[in-house]
Amino acid sequence: MLEHSLAHAAHPDRAPTAPMGAKAENDRVTPAPRSGRPTRLHRAVFQPIGDEGRAALVERRIADAIIGGVLPSGERLPAETDLARSFGVAPATAREALLALRERGLIVTRRGRNGGSFVSDDADPAAFALRTLAETSRVALRDLAAHYLAITVACVELAARRADPSEIAAIRARLDRVRDDDLAAWRRATDDTQIELAALSQSARLTREQMRLQGELSPFFALVDTDADARLSNRTDLLALLDAVAEGDEVRAGAIIRAKIHRCVDWLIDLRESPSASPAERTAP
Amino acid sequence: MTSATPAAADRTAPDPVALVTEYFGRAIDSLSSWTGELAAALRDAGGRGAVTTEVLDDLVEPYARRTFDSLDLPVYGAGFIAALDWLADARSHLAWWQGADHAKLVLASQSVNKELIDYSELEWYRVPQASREPHVAGPYVDYLCSDEYTITVAAPVDLDGEFVGVAGLDLLIDQVERDLLPRLRAFGDDISIVNGVGRVLLSTSARRETGDSIRGAALEGFDRGACPGMALEVLTAR
Repeated sequence: MLEHSLAHAAHPDRAPTAPMGAKAENDRVTPAPRSGRPTRLHRAVFQPIGDEGRAALVERRIADAIIGGVLPSGERLPAETDLARSFGVAPATAREALLALRERGLIVTRRGRNGGSFVSDDADPAAFALRTLAETSRVALRDLAAHYLAITVACVELAARRADPSEIAAIRARLDRVRDDDLAAWRRATDDTQIELAALSQSARLTREQMRLQGELSPFFALVDTDADARLSNRTDLLALLDAVAEGDEVRAGAIIRAKIHRCVDWLIDLRESPSASPAERTAP
Repeated sequence: MTSATPAAADRTAPDPVALVTEYFGRAIDSLSSWTGELAAALRDAGGRGAVTTEVLDDLVEPYARRTFDSLDLPVYGAGFIAALDWLADARSHLAWWQGADHAKLVLASQSVNKELIDYSELEWYRVPQASREPHVAGPYVDYLCSDEYTITVAAPVDLDGEFVGVAGLDLLIDQVERDLLPRLRAFGDDISIVNGVGRVLLSTSARRETGDSIRGAALEGFDRGACPGMALEVLTAR
């Protein structure tokens, strides 16, 4: 606190009428930064980090991938030692996570020469997504959408400034090869397009965030894909978006992706509000 | 390689094109020094359809380690990426080591299932496959391996005239900037390295942002120098 007082003394004109109450409140927060009172971010540094262990983090990462359909039924998980190495955890931690996933019925383990851990056959991403949608509050869903929108718009606008038309043509060619009535292929192609557009922003941070959010929202978007009209609108929007990015029109690109996301989220909210998706029915035993 | 220190090498580079060509050429030479040996080892292991991912990993690892240890560049990742449908037990595979601890890359366990990403159209695979020549790819956000803003130097591996994959190494732009920018500054305060689509890799001008592009009419006002053997150009403001 000595430094803090000295800072005030050295610049008496900066805080000439600091009320005593404010000073008293500052005294309760330690340690104070050198340059005045603690900011909100400063306080956040000293928040408890939670008691979730590393095994639980590994478990959640894999569970999210299974529930999101990223790891499909029957897919073999890497061996325990490979898992441990790639997550950067001890083998015992990977084993603990696999055990928890087995208890939740998300994976099965087979012994023998062709053994290993496999995603359980009855892991159905659509059912998971519907249940998650029903259990997510409307405010949480809108908040998730706001986050997704902010990142996606930023990516698309930067990509419009920076991408070469030939790079957009390559994405477009891949998209054109996929029929939108093959739902799984279409979902993957759409996710890939969004991630490739993010990468064309040339920002590694934005791309990582887009990948994370795309993974979180993809199971919900897969629900939207089951509606043929919604799928057609999304395809039209995606192609218009690629055109706008190729032409370097960041304003139009931003407007198109904004409208597309709003429409998808409204569709999901409507599904959530419909009687067939109500939490009461879905969670009944 | 001579025993000259990097500082001495600066002074001996006659111009920025020579500096940049020597810098990335070192990476190409290093990869090219083992592609022939790896091809021979792959033939001995049975060739197309006989080599498993596990055998491949064991064959590639010593060359990846050598790339990290012997090359005077900030190598972030190194290894070999198999041609599609070449291996016995997988459609595609990256025998790849990366990061501070040179850990083996295991794709399936990452948050987005990167095993599903088809790398055959990515620049570092597509260009050496088509040209059968080494290539400096990027800068680009590498969402497959490093998750960072990256340059990938890749050299094709041929087995009896057949393309079997690419040997590669990753350099993070963050580290290339620290390494190369001070040396580039010796030649002027508005010198930029751009790639084949005019994207700025780095510039001695603080107002030219890495990732932005210098294309079309914006190119007027620069002297352009192509780096031989790689799709990079050095732009010097007139």
